[in-house]
Amino acid sequence: MTIQLFIFMLVNGLSHGMLLFIIASGLTLVFGVLRVINFAHGSLYMIGAFLAYSLSTLLTTGTLQSFLLSLLLVPPAVALVGFVLEVLLFRRVYREEHLLQLLLTYALVLILDDVVRVIWGGDPRNVARPEIFAGSVDLFGMALPTYNVFVLLVGPVIALGMWLLLYRTRSGNLIRAAVWYPETLGALGVNVSWVMTSTFMLGCWLAGVGGVLMASLANIDLGIGMEKIIESFAVVVIGGLGSIGGALLGSLIIGVGITVLQLPFGRWALVFPYAVMALVLILRPWGLFGKPER
Amino acid sequence: MPEAILKIEGLSKSFEGSQVFNDVNFAIPEGELSSIIGPNGAGKTTLFNLITGYHVPDKGKILFRGTNIAGMQPFHIVGLGIARAFQRTNIFPRMTVLENVLTTVISARKGNLSLFAPFRNHDKDHERAYEILENVGLADMASRESGTLAHGNQKRLDIAVALALEPKMLLLDEPTAGMSPEERWHTVELVKGLWEKLKITMLFIEHDMDIVFGISQKVRVLCYKTILAEGTPKEISSNQQVIEAYLGEEV
Amino acid sequence: MVNNRNEYSSTKRNWIAGIIVTAGLFLLPFILTNFGKTGEYWIWVTTEMIIMGLFAMSLNLILGFGGMVSFGHAAFFGVGAYTVALLMKKAGVSLFFALAAAPVVAGLAAAVIGWFCVRLIGLYFAILTLAFSQLLYMIVFQWYTFTGGDDGIHGIPRPEFLGPLNYYLLCLVLFIICFLIMRMLVNSSFGLTIRTIRENLERAKFIGLNVRRFQWLNFIIAGSFAGLAGGLLTELNRFSQTEFLHWSKSAEPILGSLVGGMYSLLGPAIGSAVLIFMKIFLQQLHKGLVEIWAIILGLVLLVVVLFAPGGLVGIYEKAFKKS
Repeated sequence: MTIQLFIFMLVNGLSHGMLLFIIASGLTLVFGVLRVINFAHGSLYMIGAFLAYSLSTLLTTGTLQSFLLSLLLVPPAVALVGFVLEVLLFRRVYREEHLLQLLLTYALVLILDDVVRVIWGGDPRNVARPEIFAGSVDLFGMALPTYNVFVLLVGPVIALGMWLLLYRTRSGNLIRAAVWYPETLGALGVNVSWVMTSTFMLGCWLAGVGGVLMASLANIDLGIGMEKIIESFAVVVIGGLGSIGGALLGSLIIGVGITVLQLPFGRWALVFPYAVMALVLILRPWGLFGKPER
Repeated sequence: MPEAILKIEGLSKSFEGSQVFNDVNFAIPEGELSSIIGPNGAGKTTLFNLITGYHVPDKGKILFRGTNIAGMQPFHIVGLGIARAFQRTNIFPRMTVLENVLTTVISARKGNLSLFAPFRNHDKDHERAYEILENVGLADMASRESGTLAHGNQKRLDIAVALALEPKMLLLDEPTAGMSPEERWHTVELVKGLWEKLKITMLFIEHDMDIVFGISQKVRVLCYKTILAEGTPKEISSNQQVIEAYLGEEV
Repeated sequence: MVNNRNEYSSTKRNWIAGIIVTAGLFLLPFILTNFGKTGEYWIWVTTEMIIMGLFAMSLNLILGFGGMVSFGHAAFFGVGAYTVALLMKKAGVSLFFALAAAPVVAGLAAAVIGWFCVRLIGLYFAILTLAFSQLLYMIVFQWYTFTGGDDGIHGIPRPEFLGPLNYYLLCLVLFIICFLIMRMLVNSSFGLTIRTIRENLERAKFIGLNVRRFQWLNFIIAGSFAGLAGGLLTELNRFSQTEFLHWSKSAEPILGSLVGGMYSLLGPAIGSAVLIFMKIFLQQLHKGLVEIWAIILGLVLLVVVLFAPGGLVGIYEKAFKKS
């Protein structure tokens, strides 16, 4: 294995890791505030990807305009789906036991995944990359796909954006307060259920962004939702449920791990997220960044 | 003076850097009915949590009949003879009152691994469970789902569950919390009666000073991370340090 | 008022109903054999219902009675399935020996996996079970030379005398035996202990229970029964495939338990049978409906979660109590 190949795989892995981060951060954010782990998060991401595909067929596919328009329109559309789900369903189970919450989101997986199948069918699709990202960048004498580098750069931008939102705005303060002191917040006259709805929508918006980016990164099919939700579980388990910083670290570990390990191990590399997840849960169940509950 | 059943030596505990206890020492003689008082946040419940194994002490020994139980698992400590009732009602809500006690009786005789014999047909367990329910006055509610009981009765069931373990020492965390004044005295009488009847060591946390001074043989005051004072109700009620500590809280 | 001495043990009326239903189940295949191909198909379907019912009941030992949400129960179903498949196909072992080995091997797997899992509670327990089962799935999927990978293991032999009808009867008898064992378990001191832990895990420690130990034992027992179910399904289909270990297979008994009622012993079996029947019924009604089976299943699940968390048995009990 040459150093160059390794760097190539590393960049590839980092861009997959960043994509995973965008999705997993939505999952962990929603968990942090709502205390519900949303199995259907992967399905929402998949809906985002397929919406991006449909939009691209309506527009001139492969142009920058069409790509940017997707990025502008699709995530809010997914957030809107999230709004409906939160108001109609999630809101009813916040006080129920974990089991019922999990089953509710699981029911949504069944429904949403099948809706996607009925609308878009089972064939793999993809969206042509906009011209300016279609080529490759020269790095250390290697041609790296521009689009992968772009995705790699979007991740930190999103991370920074979320950090600014959570730590530098009033809404962010409310969201963070809702994590730790929901009762107090309610007593202070803050509309907690609105905070929850908007957090959920923000999580879905992130899933939508992930979907749009994915549609041009690789083929999309009916399996991508489940694949990403399980990877996201691994991510949030590694980083600690509810921790955005942990999600960033976890995503990079998983993204790079899967990609780089493919060199020596081939498809066995896919075992990696599960193995890491099991290991972390056994040794440090609250994750690398989380705190033990007691 | 009788032998100490519980002896605490140099107990210290911190949570996330803030110290709750610093070098706590005291001993409880066998058969005593005593209480622990202290201002809010003094760590009374934490002390119980340390004794029963819910938390692990940073330093120090907790000697129960000569055995150091510091850091042992709760179930292990229960097995040695310390039972507790909780401040917030803590029962098995979707089981009947009888089942709450039965499951504890079975646990006390280590019969949980009986995989096939129906637990309902074990007459000895039933007799024992009913006896305990009689003791706390819940026998006529035996078949009620325990989660549907009134608050006061749930607390008494909590005590019954602890008693079913046949403990040598019983820790009661605010047995009268959330009760009406009549209920309070009723429960106090119950506790005192049980102590006289069963001749076990009892240690309770209580806020109501009338109750504390009314039934305790000895009172220990937990304040400033340690035992501030120890003595008979009379001694404590005239202790200048204690009065200041309490005044300090109220101002 | 509920007389809780009878919470899980049957009343006289239930006994009679039970005997009638059992007799009906024994007679059913003899009636169905008169209907040619359709009859044979229905014998196959009811055999599958029985097996999946056993699988669901096994999960419910930890789910409903133990309060432990496992997303990885298919691991043990799959281990049982592959045990039978490998023993019979590769080692040439007889069916009965293979069927006896399935719960043992699955129980061993459950002992190893459970040892880690019971250290965690709630959500973390659920995720770890999922992780382990997917790990196992990936291994079976990748280890082509041993497990046949994606292709699975086909052409598992069937003893001459075990035609569809006799195999149905074998499954039914095993189901009844397992049911009776599980019934004893949930009514025993151990069963009470498990419910105690479900009701209040923290408090359970303070009545002297070594919680993990009992949860572990329960996990192993549940895994063993799942292994038997997996073995039986393998012999019914005469093949074993990776799907048996997949997370979606873990979902089936959860759905069955929820629809049927997870606070009763038989509820999960009834629930899975209802779901299997519903799928076939919809298929007969209109081909297009099966296309959207997952949507329908999801909607059913939503309704149950939101409005009837006690499932069918819960609804029955409510109606029964009111009358």
